[in-house]
Amino acid sequence: MTSDAEWAVILLSIRVAAGAVALSLVPGIAAGWLLARWDHPLRALVQGLVMLPLVLPPVVTGYLLLFVLGRSRPFGQAWHAWTGGHIAYTTTACVIAAAVVGFPLLVEAIRLSMLGVDRRLEQISRSLGRGPLDTFFRVTLPLSLPGVASGAVLAFARALGEFGATIVLAGNVAGETRTIPVAVYTLLNVRDGEAAAMRLVAVSVALALAALLASFWLSARKRSA
Amino acid sequence: MLEVTLAHHFSDFSLELELASRGPALGIFGASGSGKTTLLHAIAGLFRPEQGRIAVAERVVFARPGGVWVPPERRRLALVTQDPLLFPHRSVRGNLAFAPGAGERLDAPAGRRILEVLRIAPLLERRIDNLSGGERQRVAIGRALLADPSLLLLDEPTSALDAELSRDVLGLLMQVKQTLQVPMIFVTHRASELLALADDCAVLEAGRVVAQGLPVEVLKRPRALGLASLVGVDNLLRVPVVGHDESGGVTLLGLGSGVTLAAPLCGAAIGSPVEVGFYADEVLICLEKPAGISARNALACDVVAIDRVGHEVLVGLQIGETRIRARITPAAARELALETGRRVVALVKTSAIHRLD
Repeated sequence: MTSDAEWAVILLSIRVAAGAVALSLVPGIAAGWLLARWDHPLRALVQGLVMLPLVLPPVVTGYLLLFVLGRSRPFGQAWHAWTGGHIAYTTTACVIAAAVVGFPLLVEAIRLSMLGVDRRLEQISRSLGRGPLDTFFRVTLPLSLPGVASGAVLAFARALGEFGATIVLAGNVAGETRTIPVAVYTLLNVRDGEAAAMRLVAVSVALALAALLASFWLSARKRSA
Repeated sequence: MLEVTLAHHFSDFSLELELASRGPALGIFGASGSGKTTLLHAIAGLFRPEQGRIAVAERVVFARPGGVWVPPERRRLALVTQDPLLFPHRSVRGNLAFAPGAGERLDAPAGRRILEVLRIAPLLERRIDNLSGGERQRVAIGRALLADPSLLLLDEPTSALDAELSRDVLGLLMQVKQTLQVPMIFVTHRASELLALADDCAVLEAGRVVAQGLPVEVLKRPRALGLASLVGVDNLLRVPVVGHDESGGVTLLGLGSGVTLAAPLCGAAIGSPVEVGFYADEVLICLEKPAGISARNALACDVVAIDRVGHEVLVGLQIGETRIRARITPAAARELALETGRRVVALVKTSAIHRLD
């Protein structure tokens, strides 16, 4: 059955995916709202930048992140001087890589559900005395919660599967950065690793499926509520 | 109450108007596309015109040039639209308590009074998807009143409702005006609403104010009258007095070809034209002239048009040289086997006929 090492991999993956969603949720809501409601020529450019990780090879995304966050880079050095720690090749790096790669899925789900909110409801809210921020928290956000939830679940599932950017930015450190995909890749490269790899693959499929079912359930529940 | 000058050019339409009104209820009347909703949105602060100045209750809320822009939430003008636009994620109470301070107002005597006038107290704990169309609109009006606005803005508040409900909501708005003393600006394309509710009215046509004054004065002008019969469904007639029957309490109006209409007794000189109006649903249609009825008007006429509008049928009737409309249900139209060219009798009670001038 599943060994302690395998359990450590699974738990790390879940922790990393949850951390990635937590890290990207607020910026994701802000970006989704901006892209749904901001009428400006620059919007297309911003949208392109947000969507970029979806089409870039994850390895390239990882390299770009390493270029900024790497231990010998100015930001990495400043971070070290400030906190005494490092980002690259740590669990934090896994979280950042997973967050960046899942970000477009999160933003797109939020953007679409905010586009679906009747703008006239926001106008009524303003005319009833609620300012733009109040209107956002009392009307726009509550009405787009199904989109926020399904975007978060999709980003979570995507984070579980993240490999390319993770391997570049976070490497393959057992117990610290060895998530399920990295572990599967490692196991496939060692003699007799295939059985363990298959177990992780099964867990991976189960987690992904559970996440998708949760997203369907969430949106169905929201509709009937 | 209101002073507006504004100019704005859209690609296919331009708005250029000047309007001042002392209210307390200003009706803005016009066909669709005349710019009435745009004007209301400019007053509400939901639309920023290229140029102009808007002052509401002596306070300038917009001036360009001049750089004055008060955002909608600080104008204290609550908007009610044709579509009630209740917040779907909140209960009736949640909707009513939406505006800042509305939650406390709801439980205070003034709030109770609003609920009572609008008959929404029994609905408080309901979910909004269980409300009927009329109930929704009442909640929307209550939500706006509980925001404690200095002025209520109403954008065709009854036009999404059927005839009976729209008269009910109109009655409530009249009470809001009289007993709650809330000034209002409302947009409508129904002459009957203007007559019932407005103290002052402005007629908009293609983005310009073409007439302004007392509703009865404005509706009297042929141009406005033409507009009313174009877009409204009610009967507005300009016909001469042909005789008075003082003991019978009626004044006879000539409809042409010797046919007369009995209206309530008035003092207009014989031969002078008067304007009268009556609702299309005050007209009954019979296949034969009934015996022994109280209605003074049983007029032989020809069916000249049958238009189905939603759950209603509008029947055009030619009486002498005058054309009127009756509003009946599709079931009634079926049962009477109405078709154009058919000879029928139109019944109109004298008391249903209102003089407009």
